[in-house]
Amino acid sequence: MRRLGAVAAVVLLTATGCAGAESGSGGPIVVGSVNALSGAATFPEASQAAKAVFDAANASGGVNGRQIEYKALDDKGDPAAAAAAAREIVGGDEAVALVGSSSLIECEINAEYYEQQKILSMSGIGVDPACFSSPNIAPVNVGPYHDMTLSLLYGSEELGLTDICALLEIAGNTLPSYQAAIDEWSAITGKKLKYLDATVPYGGSDYTSYIVKARNAGCKAITVNPVEPDSIGQLKAAQAQGWTDVTWLLLTSVYSENYAKAISNAGAGVYVPAEFYPFTDAGSPQNKDWRELMTKNGIPLTSFSQGGYLAAKYFLDVVRGISGDVTRESVTKALREMRPISDPMVGTPYVFGPGETHHGNTAGWPIKLSSGTNRWELAADDWLRIPARN
Amino acid sequence: MLQGALAGLAAGGLYAVLAVCLTLMSRLVRVVNFAQSATGMFGCYVAVFLSVQFGLPTWPATVAGIVLGGLLSALLGWIISTWLAEADTGTRSAVTVAVLLLLISLSFILFGNKPQPFHPILDGPALTVGGVVISQVTVVTVLLAALVAVASRLVLSRTSAGVELRALSERPTTAELLGIPAKRLSVAVWAATGVVSTLVVSIVAPSQSNDATSLAMLVVPAAAAALLGGFRRLDLAVAGGLVLGLVQGAAAQVDGLSVARYFLPFAVIVALLLWSQRKEVWDAAR
Repeated sequence: MRRLGAVAAVVLLTATGCAGAESGSGGPIVVGSVNALSGAATFPEASQAAKAVFDAANASGGVNGRQIEYKALDDKGDPAAAAAAAREIVGGDEAVALVGSSSLIECEINAEYYEQQKILSMSGIGVDPACFSSPNIAPVNVGPYHDMTLSLLYGSEELGLTDICALLEIAGNTLPSYQAAIDEWSAITGKKLKYLDATVPYGGSDYTSYIVKARNAGCKAITVNPVEPDSIGQLKAAQAQGWTDVTWLLLTSVYSENYAKAISNAGAGVYVPAEFYPFTDAGSPQNKDWRELMTKNGIPLTSFSQGGYLAAKYFLDVVRGISGDVTRESVTKALREMRPISDPMVGTPYVFGPGETHHGNTAGWPIKLSSGTNRWELAADDWLRIPARN
Repeated sequence: MLQGALAGLAAGGLYAVLAVCLTLMSRLVRVVNFAQSATGMFGCYVAVFLSVQFGLPTWPATVAGIVLGGLLSALLGWIISTWLAEADTGTRSAVTVAVLLLLISLSFILFGNKPQPFHPILDGPALTVGGVVISQVTVVTVLLAALVAVASRLVLSRTSAGVELRALSERPTTAELLGIPAKRLSVAVWAATGVVSTLVVSIVAPSQSNDATSLAMLVVPAAAAALLGGFRRLDLAVAGGLVLGLVQGAAAQVDGLSVARYFLPFAVIVALLLWSQRKEVWDAAR
């Protein structure tokens, strides 16, 4: 078997080597990404992780004999900078694809431009609705909307919770997407939320009044879509009110070591469907390669670096299968026609495909943060999946 | 509605304490200190840093943070009273805007923008009034606001240092010619308000979302409260802070008003400025 594999590899290498020689282009393959590297909310790990994967590939001979030149540009959380960064990479550097982007606004701003330029983006972490509703963007992650459906499913079906409420922090045009995620849960389970408050502000300093309102409404569990500091504020407001039997059904956005350290009283527990195999499970074989590469390069172990790592890995998989020159056209064609790739770090195989929208990752791994533990634990031994409906 | 209003009281107490500090600064050292809560934020962050990196227990770390907040404020006071002694209030206040921005940036550089694991000094409910839970933080901040206001009043009216301070604020040049140590007293006022604001931020920060920007920007609602007392009257500053907190809390209970609650301090500032200028004719007012 091993010999067969070796023969196959030699044949493949020879074939691709020849293909490269025929096309006559020996320069680097330019791959880009647009990221929030500075500003109020930053996600630098995704592109760092993607770079680490490409560096490792380059060190072992590159792709089809060519090196990958990875450019990670900063959008500063600013729409103008996001548009400029995309134009610099796509127009100026003539990138063949975007891989491992992670930004709060990038998809929204650049989706149409990517369509015009016929370039595809494999986001490491897609956040805004446009990441999941554009023909040219297919994020690697589950995304906040499926994440919310999963969180609700886990709460109502696995934990058997009733009287679930939602406090939504709405930025830009995300409300319809969250509403759709909640409707999806209702359609699957036939259950309704007890109460929904979509007026909760991002970055509010004191959340006591929202917590009091939810408590008075009779909520026993609350689902929220917060960033870390907001969630910490909400949990602490509940604690100050003596509301310690509420269950929190949150999203991957709070899944970090820092968050666990900052929370001493987590009510009846904080439950999160992790979008990738939980990185806090240190000995897991699923994360072994990722963990080694991140540790070697000094990159933080977070969901973001998992997303960037996977995006780059999928990209390499697809590009290595291209016979002929690696250009934007051939990469786009290969991604459109690719077969689904499975990876133990995710519950759903990744495929770009020809679809008008890309929201295919529908599995999360339930994890839990209990009061007083300051650490995340696995809450299940398999992926939780959104059941397909007909 | 009542429950919501009481829920806003903790924030109200915080605004009130900061408003009292702002009022004292404005009256005694001719500065609208925009860095008032930023200094507190920075002291708090250093306290968390000491506790996380050096394993210092919560209490000594908090005290160290409060001392640092006082020292930072005193240093700023020393700089302003040394080099801008004769400048007008606007110029002196403008320096504090720079310090506000500097402290926010510095905290991002030193501590990153991830949430910090604050350990609460006070936590949990203190008492229940008719089904409404009042947290310990609420009780302490409201008491602290009243205490600081009363203590400042007593110091200003009953002690010789207070008389000297009042002399300095009324007739700075005359007071200095009479031999009152202007600089030393000013720096003392800066240090005292720095300590008080770091103390109150240290009490409140663990119970709310505590990123550097939102803590530093607490100065906006505090300024709205101080404006109610015209940056001169301590009792009105306290009342302003408490009322603002109550109204914000109540507004959050009504879906339609909820979004408006974060604009309330600005609305109050504009309304009070317009009211105070109502008798001015256009030429004089602009």
